[in-house]
Amino acid sequence: MDAKDILGLPKSAFPGSQEKKSRPPKEPQRKPDGVSREVYALTGGVLPPLMPNLEPSHLKKRPTVGKEKITWQWLPFTSSARTDSLQLYHWVRVVNGVPPTGDYAFAKYNKSVDVLKYTDEEYEKHLTDNAWSKEETDQLFELCEKFDLRFIVIADRFPSDRTVEELKSRYYSVTRKLLIARAASPEDVANHPIVKEQFNAKHETERKRALSAVLSQTKLQERKDSEILAEAKRIMESRIPSKAADEVELQGHSVVGSGEKATGVGEDVSPVTASIDAPPVIPDTSSIPANLRMQKVYLRSNALDQMLQAVSTASGRTNIHIEQMIQDLSVNLKPKVPTKAVCAEHLELRKEILTLLNLQKQMQKLTEATGSRERQHSEAPATPKRSNRDVDRPFGSDAGGFGGERTGKRDQKRKAPGRFGEPPPSPPQSKRPRKYKASD
Amino acid sequence: MYGGDEVSAIVVDLGSYSCKAGYAGEDAPKAVFPSAVGSIDQMEVDTEANPEKEADTQDPKNNAKPSDADKSKAYRKLYVGTQALDYRRDHMEVISPFKDGVVVDWDMVDNIWNHAFRQRLLIDPKEHPMLLAEPSINTAQQREKAAEVMFENYKVPALFLAKNAVLTSFASGRSTSLVVDSGGGSTVVAAVHDGYVLQKAVATSPIGGEFLTDCMMKSLESKGIVIKPRYSFKKKEISPGEYKIVDLDFPNTTESYRLFCTRAIAGDIKESVSRVPDSSYDEASYANVPMTSYELPDGQTIEIGADRFKVPDILFNPSLALTIPGIEGFSDPASVKGLPQMVLESINKCDVDIRRELFSSILLAGGTSSMQQLKERLEKELMEDAPQAARVKVLASGNAIERRFSVWIGGSILASLGSFQQMWFSKAEYEEHGVSYIHRKCP
Repeated sequence: MDAKDILGLPKSAFPGSQEKKSRPPKEPQRKPDGVSREVYALTGGVLPPLMPNLEPSHLKKRPTVGKEKITWQWLPFTSSARTDSLQLYHWVRVVNGVPPTGDYAFAKYNKSVDVLKYTDEEYEKHLTDNAWSKEETDQLFELCEKFDLRFIVIADRFPSDRTVEELKSRYYSVTRKLLIARAASPEDVANHPIVKEQFNAKHETERKRALSAVLSQTKLQERKDSEILAEAKRIMESRIPSKAADEVELQGHSVVGSGEKATGVGEDVSPVTASIDAPPVIPDTSSIPANLRMQKVYLRSNALDQMLQAVSTASGRTNIHIEQMIQDLSVNLKPKVPTKAVCAEHLELRKEILTLLNLQKQMQKLTEATGSRERQHSEAPATPKRSNRDVDRPFGSDAGGFGGERTGKRDQKRKAPGRFGEPPPSPPQSKRPRKYKASD
Repeated sequence: MYGGDEVSAIVVDLGSYSCKAGYAGEDAPKAVFPSAVGSIDQMEVDTEANPEKEADTQDPKNNAKPSDADKSKAYRKLYVGTQALDYRRDHMEVISPFKDGVVVDWDMVDNIWNHAFRQRLLIDPKEHPMLLAEPSINTAQQREKAAEVMFENYKVPALFLAKNAVLTSFASGRSTSLVVDSGGGSTVVAAVHDGYVLQKAVATSPIGGEFLTDCMMKSLESKGIVIKPRYSFKKKEISPGEYKIVDLDFPNTTESYRLFCTRAIAGDIKESVSRVPDSSYDEASYANVPMTSYELPDGQTIEIGADRFKVPDILFNPSLALTIPGIEGFSDPASVKGLPQMVLESINKCDVDIRRELFSSILLAGGTSSMQQLKERLEKELMEDAPQAARVKVLASGNAIERRFSVWIGGSILASLGSFQQMWFSKAEYEEHGVSYIHRKCP
């Protein structure tokens, strides 16, 4: 292309090659005779020839030279972008002996930023400032013009030590005041971007400080962070092997949260504090289901319910037993104030009751095997056993044992609709009456 | 089509080790020769009858020192260029116009430029605008002197002074980068933002290629290897195919010349065998490293082992140099830092907003940066000390020629751009506003 341009040749040398282009589109409809249609289709149809067919007759013709005479000459030029009359020389494409006219082609790229200039009176009237002397402001504006508002470079070259924010805020405030002062009315300039948005130096300093904190976190600190991560992970794995994966993920969140605290990212503050409690406490409340801890904020009563669900492997009937027993001990079925300690105790209680019931069942089985009389005897040891158990526990007496349970059953029925989120007693109630009827 | 417009400008980059000169628009300088010149002091006795007649001959090569007491003029003859320096002359001292990276002898610089223009490039400076590359930290006085010499002595039509770091940055197509220029005389780490050097963030170190060559030389000498300069022996053929070395004795050869020639050989050794170690060098682990052999010009074959790794590691750990016998310490040992520390220091002095960008575009330039494995080692060391949030990327042209001449190449690109032609500092402006106007025109 370039060579043809320089020599002044037309772009497409052979007009004959244009005719060739019209022929190939017709080819795909034909197929060669010796080959079956399907086989031919495998090749993708007719392919355009890789080499354009050169006709020898074309080669014999001389390339037609364009009508114009093109020469290249070493001519001087001036540029309107320059203030003096320096004449440099360059190669120019001359057509028919007439050099091109017009300004230097690259002069149009000479763009500069519009930096306002103020007079001394304007300075006295509007622009005086305690922190900035006139000379400094003058210097600032000179540099702004020289460097096209590249504030980082300006700050580098400024004679006294001023931060980039200080320079920016001075520049923008001066320009703003000038614009407002010079405008005929405030509405005229209200749409000017400098007038519309104030430069917030404080915000910028804060942002930069935060950014520098992020960037100055050295590899050492990151290594320590990752070590802490690994440590916590190991603790988690030792507690609940099955939930290890989820917990590591959460710890990643929480540690990142604690790391991000330094950057002052505000929106994560409250969940971060919540989850920061989580890592040190994790070993204690390891029974909190992982899916709950995935959310950073949760209700402990919800947690308790889910815990119960998780922990209770017993059948629904045993759950009912447990609940009745809890009520007999005049403990609320759901703790009124579900703090961590209370919930823990509640769970403990349930576990112990469960153990008790299991033992009772076993005893019953034994006594059934030996006879009904022994069953009755078993109830007696059952009660002292229970009283032994309950000696440590300062709960109410269990004198109204089974009878209370029956009323409790009724109460339970009444209460059932009111309860929410409680693990529903899944097996039919009919089982219970059968047992008591037998004992009676 | 593209932004180029050639005005046949000349680009000259006078470094502390070599001078590069050539036409703008080309991809390599045509003239490359050492910046050191040979000088022979010649005494000429003036006629005693005219004590008032001061220096009359205004020959620029003369360094006339008129003195009242003894009626003799002392001037020196300077020999510039590779050919002139390769020929051994009696009493020829090899001197450099630079001291600590700053030009102290403008007469010598004048001679060097003259040699470049008239003997190497064969041009008439009156017809060509001149682009000069200057150090990234250059005083106002130096720039004014350079401009003065150019306009008065050579009468160039237009001039521009560009900083080395900016030119290297342009050579790689970036306007913001951190340039690590480890040349012959010194190593300079400078941050360039939007085409301007941030002067407060420039870090320098006196460790350069010359210093490393000295270390290599002294280390080899301490091991008993004698490097004979090329002029001091002759190969005589005693029988077909067999050569004997005959020592030639030139008692009038100056020490500086001998050093110059020895350094040339040691420099070649350094360039061919040294490799930057992957981690910090320590004597114990490299005591048994396999040796590489190198054949000296006089036929002697030497084995170089641990020095291959020790010498380049001085760039990263300057205190290693003190373990080499014969190397005197730096004038201010505390200020001399290793390369990664200089990079971090320079970046941390910059504004926070651009630090990330600087980390991801660190450019290597200069002859010493063509050492093998330098890029990988620097990247590794920086990644350890740099913050996690920043991605560290060290860029270096694969081509050794491009790395050596990246400053010149950047100048070539800049001077041939169409939109640069409005920025020249012309002779008319010089005459109208004076030499201090250059600071406004060439920021």
